[in-house]
Amino acid sequence: MPALRDLQSAFGRALLQDGRTQSVPRELALDGLTVGIYRNTCFSTLTSALGLSFPAVRRLVGAEFFDHAAREFMLTHAPASAYLNDYGREFPAFLAQFAAAGGLSYLADVAQLEWAVNRALHAADTAPLDLAALAAVDAAQTAHLSFVPHPSVSVLHLAAPADAIWRAVLDQDQAAMAALEPAAGPVWLLIERNAQGIQVRRMAPAAWALTQRLCAGEPLQAPLDESRSGALSEQELNALLADHLASGRFTSWRIPIGDLPS
Amino acid sequence: MLDSNHIEGQASSIPAAAGIGLRFPHHQCVLQGRTGVPWFEVHAENYFGGGSVRRTLEAVRRNYPLSLHGVGLSLGSADGLDPAHLGRLAELVQLIEPGLVSEHLSWSVSGGQYFADLLPLPMTEEALDVVCRHVQQTQELLKRPILLENPSTYLQFAHSTIPEAQFLSAVAQRTGCGILCDLNNIFVSACNHGWDPLSYLDALPASAIGEFHLAGHAVCTLDDARVVRIDNHGSPVSAPVWALYEQALQRFGARPTLIEWDTDIPAFEVLLEQAAQATDRLHASRRAHACAA
Repeated sequence: MPALRDLQSAFGRALLQDGRTQSVPRELALDGLTVGIYRNTCFSTLTSALGLSFPAVRRLVGAEFFDHAAREFMLTHAPASAYLNDYGREFPAFLAQFAAAGGLSYLADVAQLEWAVNRALHAADTAPLDLAALAAVDAAQTAHLSFVPHPSVSVLHLAAPADAIWRAVLDQDQAAMAALEPAAGPVWLLIERNAQGIQVRRMAPAAWALTQRLCAGEPLQAPLDESRSGALSEQELNALLADHLASGRFTSWRIPIGDLPS
Repeated sequence: MLDSNHIEGQASSIPAAAGIGLRFPHHQCVLQGRTGVPWFEVHAENYFGGGSVRRTLEAVRRNYPLSLHGVGLSLGSADGLDPAHLGRLAELVQLIEPGLVSEHLSWSVSGGQYFADLLPLPMTEEALDVVCRHVQQTQELLKRPILLENPSTYLQFAHSTIPEAQFLSAVAQRTGCGILCDLNNIFVSACNHGWDPLSYLDALPASAIGEFHLAGHAVCTLDDARVVRIDNHGSPVSAPVWALYEQALQRFGARPTLIEWDTDIPAFEVLLEQAAQATDRLHASRRAHACAA
């Protein structure tokens, strides 16, 4: 008699074999109609979940190709939990190396943007940082401050103008699609959820670079100094930081323990 | 946005009336006006995130009692429960104060991988211990009893020793959980495995029955010409399942009853019509029980 853990492990392997095995291992099943019914439900549920998270990718490649790509993806990337809004993080990277999609160089970029949008849609509701408490930080310590970005915020640097492609495809805007130039050059994007909904906006490269470093949790000093000596004026720098704080793009701040006054 | 830990609004308890499984295409319809539906049931995992989806659920909760139905806790996993999943469920329960919380007699997680279906358990003493342990763990965290739903199954394991209805009853007895009696699932499994659905009902303890589910299923022919019924929630409740519902009402009395429809979701009016059919039977059952008393 197989132990429950062994049975579930064998059943799981049979599910992921994608039709190459028609039934559960013989010693497990009495009168199994077929494990294929479970496999179909499993794959169609996950395909639907990916389709909801990557609607523009699905339209770009067509339902049949998308389902094929999704199925190939699932065989090597089963979800870790039933929270399926969180499933598909690796799908953009999978598409980037998926030979069958080789003709669409911008597909993985659109997928990256869609994952960021999905993340923004479903991110936990988290209060922005307390500006009054931040203002009370000792001036000598501000150089060591680092921020924790709101879970809905993503910053993306993409080789293709994925934002324009994404909008045109989802809006089914034929004129915009005809005007698209996938080779038009890179875009620097900020994606977030605010009170008005999901925002996808382009940033200037220097402002994006600073934002990216702050969102990565770097202490304030080095990125600020480098921005000052580079493309951002003091006025632009202050305006950018004020906008980030006022827009609630950070939820908390930290000062490393070693830097706190004793 | 609500910052408090719960929502002001309707009483939380679910009446013994016909509710509807609320799905995304009907959100606006339900938010816009009075539907006359006494309660709704939602899939817990669809509301684990924040943002507008969560706001919608809070808005619905202000006007209706809600039942929270989990599909991914995987109570039958030998590996144990996922604390992150359980934590998200607990947070949602605290927020919306559902009248009922339910899950399935099944498993979906093994080796850190989630298989997106309600997979069958062997009906063994080992599986019984695992399910009871996990039901208890869930109830302790949520500080309330849950309902456990019988699944539709398409295969049985050679080493099973306990009939499913007895297995379910044993979990209820050992853990104090209730039973969500899905009549479509009983019918589907009974047809697939040659069980007698009425004997199944007879084996369930009336006092533990906390809710009924009704849904449609598909009849498919496999490659080897075998006919199998598949629980796809994609059509009206079938005549034999309505008949089985009447038998269940006769045995157990009126309970909250849910119309589920998850694939090829129809206009909301179609669900209202299905709920009205359940309501007729609930009324008939009350009259019959009153006469008998």
